[in-house]
Amino acid sequence: MPRALGIVTPSGNNMKVHGMDFYRPISAFSFLGRYRIVDFPVSNMSNSDIEHIQVYVSQNPRSLAEHLGTGRTYNINSKRGRLQLLFNQDSKVNEIYNTDIRAFADNIDQIELASEPYVIISPGYMIFKEDYNDLLREHVASGADVTLLYHKVDNADKSFRNCRTIGLNRQKGIKSIGWNDGAIPEANIFMDTYVMTKELFLKLIRKAQKISSVYRLVDIINEENDELDIRGLSHKGYFNAITDFKSYYDANIEMLDFDKAKDLFTDEWPIYTVTTDSCPVRYAKGSKVKNSVVANGCIVEGTVENSIIGRGVEIRKGASVKNCVILGHAKIGEGAKLEHQVVDKWAKIINVKKLIATADNPGYIKRGDTL
Amino acid sequence: MKQMEMLAMILAGGRGSRLKSLTSKIAKPAVSFGGRYRIIDFPLSNCANSGLDVVGVLTQYEPVFLSSYVSQGRYWGLDSRDSGVYAIAPREKADAELDVYKGTADAITQNIDFIDAYNPEYLLVLSGDHIYKMNYAKMLAYHKEHKSDATIAVIGVPMKEASRFGIMNADENDKIYEFQEKPEHPKSNLASMGIYIFTWKILRKLLLADAKNEESSHDFGKDIIPALMNAGRNVYAYRFKGYWKDVGTIDSLWEANMDLLDHSSELNLSDYSWRIYSEDPTDLPQYIGPDAEIDTAYITQGCRVDGKVVNSVLFTNAHVAEGAVVKDTVLMPGAKVGEGAKVTRALVANDVVIGKGAKIGSANSPEILLVDQDVKGVE
Repeated sequence: MPRALGIVTPSGNNMKVHGMDFYRPISAFSFLGRYRIVDFPVSNMSNSDIEHIQVYVSQNPRSLAEHLGTGRTYNINSKRGRLQLLFNQDSKVNEIYNTDIRAFADNIDQIELASEPYVIISPGYMIFKEDYNDLLREHVASGADVTLLYHKVDNADKSFRNCRTIGLNRQKGIKSIGWNDGAIPEANIFMDTYVMTKELFLKLIRKAQKISSVYRLVDIINEENDELDIRGLSHKGYFNAITDFKSYYDANIEMLDFDKAKDLFTDEWPIYTVTTDSCPVRYAKGSKVKNSVVANGCIVEGTVENSIIGRGVEIRKGASVKNCVILGHAKIGEGAKLEHQVVDKWAKIINVKKLIATADNPGYIKRGDTL
Repeated sequence: MKQMEMLAMILAGGRGSRLKSLTSKIAKPAVSFGGRYRIIDFPLSNCANSGLDVVGVLTQYEPVFLSSYVSQGRYWGLDSRDSGVYAIAPREKADAELDVYKGTADAITQNIDFIDAYNPEYLLVLSGDHIYKMNYAKMLAYHKEHKSDATIAVIGVPMKEASRFGIMNADENDKIYEFQEKPEHPKSNLASMGIYIFTWKILRKLLLADAKNEESSHDFGKDIIPALMNAGRNVYAYRFKGYWKDVGTIDSLWEANMDLLDHSSELNLSDYSWRIYSEDPTDLPQYIGPDAEIDTAYITQGCRVDGKVVNSVLFTNAHVAEGAVVKDTVLMPGAKVGEGAKVTRALVANDVVIGKGAKIGSANSPEILLVDQDVKGVE
């Protein structure tokens, strides 16, 4: 079995999650109360026996750096294996330079030095389970130059905005790569996941830089489509992308469907994350909890319905939290009524007693704010 | 390596046979507690939080699982450069046959070489059987301040229960002048918590002498502490206030778990500054279903609740199916309660399955029902 270097890429600069991404990149967003989005690509790679993983960060690296650490949490051997956090140099000049190609070019020696003959590139803003061993095996067997992973969806008109779509010919060759303009529900959403040799990858980085300083990897792949044998491979199972605030809220709420959660989280394919050694949840007398996911360390005295509650959250007497995503260590004070809100970490809702929004347009409370 | 100030040794060899089938395959310190913990997480987390670096865990009864568990020093952060948790079972030596530890003191004597390798100034001896949070650094400061040779942590117990404990009789300065093991007529209510700090040089000499004494039972309480007092050494009582429980029986184990439901209980595990650390399961957060009812409960990661949970503690991966009612009960890791089943005033052991519609336990039973076998459903 050939070996591959695992590369986790940041989201493109067209993806904005207003409010939340001021504090951290999408890959460091909290998911389902205890995970971060980056846990999915890194766990996928670790479970696929990829021992060398590079995570590229384009902004606010603190939360990701703290979270990933040495990679021990992800079952990466601390001697043989390696989890690298890599930064790009001049993202401050103008955001348009903030591309994945720029990030790779700034760290090209780190890619050249890697001993693995193949690269598997996967994004830090999508949620799915994938065995990269199978992917690499199929790629090698097919003889293709590049294999792209895609997911056939029937809700592209409502979701997956800012994602790319791919058109395929009969031999699963790539016909075109375009934008999801939301015109039709059926689409092959490109999962920003690539397999190729390291040699070709390095060649494409250099070529892209010569053509345009704002090219992304997907652009050079699109341009080389006539010269290279580029094929698509269909992904099965749960798939979601965090590309804006609404999709972040929806992806969390969707996990209340236990069957969907069981598809994504299986015993044979653990999703690793960092422990905080939080104690179990204490439900006080008079608490009412229905259809919710609650992470450890919480104290629940009030009502919780259809919500995702992060670690160490306090929901005090008479408070009511419905259809909300509450991030870690937030406090919902006595008598506060919240509907359709995303409450960021460490926020306190004490003085304001009513925060009501709708499913189509959920509200957002900033990190550490006291209301 | 820097000179080590204090090394900890945890006595974790006991079977805990009053816990019945819960300890038929694992030692008592490895028994699950409080939703996501094992009993030994408490002394180990206390050690880590008190700034200790090296902990020896003396095993004897069923050591295999316990040894593999405590060897994961990273669970408690005890895995930095000069740090570690070492499981030590009785061993064959060049000059001695393989033999069991003959008493608590003998367990230390047989491992003097391990302790000497670290050359600590003080030795902390703990039991692996108790639930409590304690800062051993404060106890060490007390030991030094009193120029003590041996300091024993004590807790005030109700006078009528004092005859169940090892009782320390101390003067007005808390200097101990007498030790009584389970006295019929106790003179004080200061019970030994089985937590000792010794000035290592002094203890070392005494242990070697005790090992040669054929009359001795080689026990800290019965032999070593009296010998220290006879030798005119300073032995002080260190008064501890707070939660401390020996979870030695099914009833006391159940009760200590129930204490977690009470927010005013002294056992507060949500204090972030003194966390109890444990293994890190990869299970999903708990799922509370659309028809669930929860009234006073302590529930952890991996649980799934679709029924009714009242006044109960659910351990990792415990499930309560639709229509089931779990009341005044402890569900240990992986216990599953089937649809419509009723469980009252029980402690359900690891991975036990209660079938659909089964009814077990009773609200006014004198003792807690231990359920350690699957219960067939009623169709």
